[in-house]
Amino acid sequence: MQGKTNHKLLEQLIPRLLKPRAGESRPPVIWLGTNTCAGDMLSLLNSLDPGYRSLLTDLIDFRYNYLLGTAEGDMATGILDETMAELPGEYILVVEGTIPTRSNGLYCVIGRRNGEPLTALQAVRELGASARYVVAAGTCAAFGGPYAAAPNPSDSKSVQAVLERRVINVPGCPVLPDWLMGTLAHLIRYGEPELDDLNRPKLFYGETIHNLCQRRHYFDNSIFAKKPGDPWCMYKIGCKGPVTFADCPYRQWNSEHLSWPVKANTPCIGCVSPEFPDGDMPFFEHLPDVKLPGIRTTADRIGTITGVITALGISGHMIGSIVTNRLPHTLKKGFSGNGMLQKLLKKLR
Amino acid sequence: MKSLLSLLIKGKKLRHPWPTRLLHWSYAPAVLAGILSGFYITRPSRVHGFTNMDSARKTHFIAQYVLISSYLARVYYAYSAKNYREIIPDLKDIVRMPEFLKYQLFLTSKKPKFPKYNPGQKIVYTSFALLIPVQIVTGLGLYVTKRFQKPATLAGGLNPLRKLHYLASVSISALAAGHIYFALTDSLKKLKSIFTGYK
Repeated sequence: MQGKTNHKLLEQLIPRLLKPRAGESRPPVIWLGTNTCAGDMLSLLNSLDPGYRSLLTDLIDFRYNYLLGTAEGDMATGILDETMAELPGEYILVVEGTIPTRSNGLYCVIGRRNGEPLTALQAVRELGASARYVVAAGTCAAFGGPYAAAPNPSDSKSVQAVLERRVINVPGCPVLPDWLMGTLAHLIRYGEPELDDLNRPKLFYGETIHNLCQRRHYFDNSIFAKKPGDPWCMYKIGCKGPVTFADCPYRQWNSEHLSWPVKANTPCIGCVSPEFPDGDMPFFEHLPDVKLPGIRTTADRIGTITGVITALGISGHMIGSIVTNRLPHTLKKGFSGNGMLQKLLKKLR
Repeated sequence: MKSLLSLLIKGKKLRHPWPTRLLHWSYAPAVLAGILSGFYITRPSRVHGFTNMDSARKTHFIAQYVLISSYLARVYYAYSAKNYREIIPDLKDIVRMPEFLKYQLFLTSKKPKFPKYNPGQKIVYTSFALLIPVQIVTGLGLYVTKRFQKPATLAGGLNPLRKLHYLASVSISALAAGHIYFALTDSLKKLKSIFTGYK
């Protein structure tokens, strides 16, 4: 009941918070799509309170959007040049996707300028240099993510890796609509939010999924799911919640705040972490694989092999010691060799 | 009582001074508790002696504090008493390694004599000395995750840090098993010295 009242209160508060104050204009925003699946933009379109319409009318002035813009060709790329020239230091640059750097960035061309291909690398560097804020939307833009995963033939990198200024990382695969909308709203109304060591807003990435999880008590009491679909703690089937910082458990997906992976009985795969996906695969194993030259195996197998070798070594040596009479001799010498035990007993008597 | 003690130590050579013994019996239980609770945390099973994650984690955290403090004290003692020279393998140990291996592999019955520790012991103790800091650093990274997010990226992130912690613990477990086996079977006089100090 209280939650319902709070929700109604939020419904009334949010439009007031988002309405531009007197004399305040909506800042221009450029949204570039580089090497991306478009999942982050599609996720943002699912935003509610505020919705996409409110975003356009109350919060920002979308100058360029790679997915929803109607302009094309020179007209589209012309907007980028125009914004850079007319509004330096005023616009917000949002980048979705990794930046390919191989062959001078030719693995991602976002348009043509003066008849020449305009690469994502070039566009991000130029636009990023004079933007008020640079926001990396999604894990690919923030940390590399799946588009920079091995073998990474295009030598794709995160936005921060190609810019010499601070980039605000809003990771997620895809990004949760609230995380991005909240970050944009904070930047516009209150300035830069408090960031963690990886430049993620603490507002959304300040605590581990594990510490916020509704199933935490199952973890503490060792009630574990044995397979996806079981309604218990997902730890034993590879949940990355203990090493993943995000507020999924209480914010939930999407904007209706209905569910999230663990609530849907599957483990968290740690999609907001910088090592995702190469560094936390396999998703359904507790530990990532061990990669040695020419070999890829599970950490568990390494543990088992080490245990077996140790057990074989010790038992082999013990058998050898018994067969060669070394162990019986050591024991005999230890207990009676110097007569210490007898002396001690005599003294006690 | 005094005469009993004199009987026990009369004519005996001091092998382990009291700080060595005190610290050994501080970090040895901490390592064993850390290994068992750590394996439970990685793969929860009653085989490791715990019934729930809560008790395993509490044990692991207490063991961690005991291990960190006793390890730092041991390093300080090794430095101040200069007894680290007894532990770190030197050129002589490398030269005498084949002789040591021949005996351990039952290729000769003649037991070689070494000053205090044989080359195998030195390798094991030095490995402990090197692996425990790895375990402490990676463990702290997982214990205080918020503060260590940035340093954790040096290891590739928190997930690879978990893996590193596990692999280091597997290595420590194997070395500890070998150490306990040889301590129990090589010489009972030497085994006694870690309790009484005298051989």
